[in-house]
Amino acid sequence: MQTKPSLLCRTAAILTASSLIITAPLAMATVDDAHSFAMEAAMPFVEQGFIVREDYWNGEVKSGQKLMVKHQMFKGNEYAFWLGSANSNVKFELKIYDEKGQEISIESKTSGMFASSRVNPPKTGTYTIVFSLASEKENGLFWALAYGYR
Amino acid sequence: MTAAATLLFVTSLGAQASKSGVQEFDPQAFPGQVVDDVVVPVPSEVFSVLDKLGEPNWQQELRDVDFPNTTDRTKLAMIFGVVVAEGFVAVQAEDTEKVKDIGREVIDMATALGLIKSVRPHAQAILDAADKSDWRSIRKEFDQTQKTVRDSMEQMKDMDLSQCVSLGGWLRGTGSVTSVVTKNFSADRAELLNQPMLVEHFLSTIGKMSPKMKEHNTISDVSKGLTFILEKMEGAVDGFTKDAVRDIGKTCDSLLLEIRSAK
Repeated sequence: MQTKPSLLCRTAAILTASSLIITAPLAMATVDDAHSFAMEAAMPFVEQGFIVREDYWNGEVKSGQKLMVKHQMFKGNEYAFWLGSANSNVKFELKIYDEKGQEISIESKTSGMFASSRVNPPKTGTYTIVFSLASEKENGLFWALAYGYR
Repeated sequence: MTAAATLLFVTSLGAQASKSGVQEFDPQAFPGQVVDDVVVPVPSEVFSVLDKLGEPNWQQELRDVDFPNTTDRTKLAMIFGVVVAEGFVAVQAEDTEKVKDIGREVIDMATALGLIKSVRPHAQAILDAADKSDWRSIRKEFDQTQKTVRDSMEQMKDMDLSQCVSLGGWLRGTGSVTSVVTKNFSADRAELLNQPMLVEHFLSTIGKMSPKMKEHNTISDVSKGLTFILEKMEGAVDGFTKDAVRDIGKTCDSLLLEIRSAK
């Protein structure tokens, strides 16, 4: 005769399975996941008419290490940048500077797995985007930086 | 992704910045890691500004998309970039038939490059969206098409070819911008040509290409043309003159003519 597992055992099994489902993707976090979170950050902007570019920057970086990319922007467009991470509990920093080194971000937000920043470039030219991700738990962090315009 | 929503924690970095006053940043003294990858803007990023500054006649900017048959993969890659850029012009002109012609040309070019399998879904989406005049979706698909082709080339270790796609697209997009600006010149419109970082990026990319690639006649001429364009951009300290815009346009047009030639 088969014995039924106790409620406690069944609950434990369900909790274990659930935690595996939840943690497995994070354990195998990739830059693709980071890009997915950047795209999640982009969703409210798309509703406001922003067109998301398909190309983006991505990579893995040491926690706390600052990164810099140069980007061409055109006066007359409004831009939004979305920084996503595949790692949880990350502290983001995302700032955009003009050629003279003045910060021009007009609205920056961080939220869980991503950060965003909005810019109205005062001139057409090259701008510098500086960002970092910091985690108390993990040393190497996957990131993706995407942008859109309207 | 929904997990992120449950972790919602919003702070305003902008507010912190304003509290500490004006922040200045010196890229030369940057202590971190510089990401060398450059994301080249799609033509519609510039076109959208030109639309805001007036109402260009985009129909006048459309060019023939009948390209010669060639087995030269360097030229094919550049032509692919040109075709996609022409697609962005056709979207701006809201010309359904032209968009469809370009969608079919994308299929032909992708076939010639041996990349039809990955490109066909995008090309089909372009044709379907053209039937619905869904310009936003078409723009997205053209962008995706170019990225798919470049990614496929990079997966096959054809980094040089991937850069040729970007080069062709940039030349066609910039050619259109100079044409629109020349027809209705203003300082604001001309300022859109201030893109020295992109030209430097392309020159640096050509500099890193294989010796065989650098010896390719078209690549060699593109390099010379870009050097001339960079001089014009760097010389426009007080803004672009109409002559400078015209010179950049002529250079783009002559390079595009060479890319399109059957030789």
